[in-house]
Amino acid sequence: MAAAGAGRLRRAASALLLRSPRLPTRELSAPARLYHKKVVDHYENPRNVGSLDKTSKNVGTGLVGAPACGDVMKLQIQVDEKGKIVDARFKTFGCGSAIASSSLATEWVKGKTVEEALTIKNTDIAKELCLPPVKLHCSKSVLVPVKEIILLLP
Amino acid sequence: MRSGTLGIQDPAPSVPQPISSTSRVGRSLSNPRTGDRGDIGRGQMWGRRTGALLRVRGLWPAGVLGRRPLSCSAASLAGNSSPQCWNCGGPGSHMRGDGFFCPQCRALQPPDPTRDYFSLLDCNRAFRVDTAKLQTRYQELQRLVHPDFFSQRSQTEKDFSEKHSTLVNDAYKTLLAPLSRGLYLLKLHGVEIPEGTDYEMDRQFLMEIMEINEKLAEAQSEAAMKEIESIVRAKQKELTDNVSRAFEQDDLEKAKEMLTKMRYFSNVEEKIKLKKIPF
Repeated sequence: MAAAGAGRLRRAASALLLRSPRLPTRELSAPARLYHKKVVDHYENPRNVGSLDKTSKNVGTGLVGAPACGDVMKLQIQVDEKGKIVDARFKTFGCGSAIASSSLATEWVKGKTVEEALTIKNTDIAKELCLPPVKLHCSKSVLVPVKEIILLLP
Repeated sequence: MRSGTLGIQDPAPSVPQPISSTSRVGRSLSNPRTGDRGDIGRGQMWGRRTGALLRVRGLWPAGVLGRRPLSCSAASLAGNSSPQCWNCGGPGSHMRGDGFFCPQCRALQPPDPTRDYFSLLDCNRAFRVDTAKLQTRYQELQRLVHPDFFSQRSQTEKDFSEKHSTLVNDAYKTLLAPLSRGLYLLKLHGVEIPEGTDYEMDRQFLMEIMEINEKLAEAQSEAAMKEIESIVRAKQKELTDNVSRAFEQDDLEKAKEMLTKMRYFSNVEEKIKLKKIPF
């Protein structure tokens, strides 16, 4: 009868595994090991969150959205007369990867000339943050307003 | 020795026992993919190896007990490609009956993977649904398939019941909310919203979303939050009506655009819910 008991136990265990509740989909409560620590760092210690004076002629504002997940990102860049980026701010409402990507982008563009800023590739951002494949689009999205702003600045 | 009956002298135990890996008899029977050992009734306790042994010795009949166990492992693997009942071999439930139970032996059948949520919940494949009717049908279905009602049944039926119940839950959840219902309907028509940057969304709309999100982040009082909530609700209602009209006119692109906008607002609604939870 030991064989019977073992069989029943195994079946009960596998049934339990099947019935285990799914993790909640709220990304804020996802365990940290699902996000790379660099992403968590940007999320907990965001740099450059805020706004610049959008009426100033040295400030460019760019907006981008992600339709599948509903994330929205706003980037602002302030340029001096010589074409150097002196300040950058962002506001992002979305997942941790989107926030980290925009935070990193504002960090990287500061101090660069506009030509240098245009050379930043989304693969650089993705690599720096170790973004998983499903979040690669966040790194692409954040560069869209960067290019848009720079190309539209006088 | 008598042939073809349970009285045969052979190494297998004469009392049916659940097959475990410690038993010589059971090892060959488990489904390598799912570990499913299948139903332990109906002569499978003897195992293929014993059958083969006895066949060689001329003692095992080619008839009933010698039949290959096509049954449960195949059925639970293949879903509903086999039209026969896994239990009694009779015609499957899709020819007659409600699609869940075999009309002959009443055994629960595996879920049909080709059946969409609308069909499952007995609704027309349209954006407009009667949510009261949806709820009634959901409850009816769970009374038929919920695992609580299968605690005394075979393991195979228990597994099927779990799959059915999960499917019914997913279907109900998807069809209840307008956003998920619309997206599902689009998917059935072969239209999906792509992952990636939204180059098409107009700037005005994105600014509006940005501003609502900022307002929500700054909202300190319950009154402020209620105000935002009612704004968002009004927007969602308007968009829902637009989606409904788009589907009626078969304008899938328009429906897609409206549903995308609904997604942005839906994220705000989620944030409002989170903000309401006291920490």
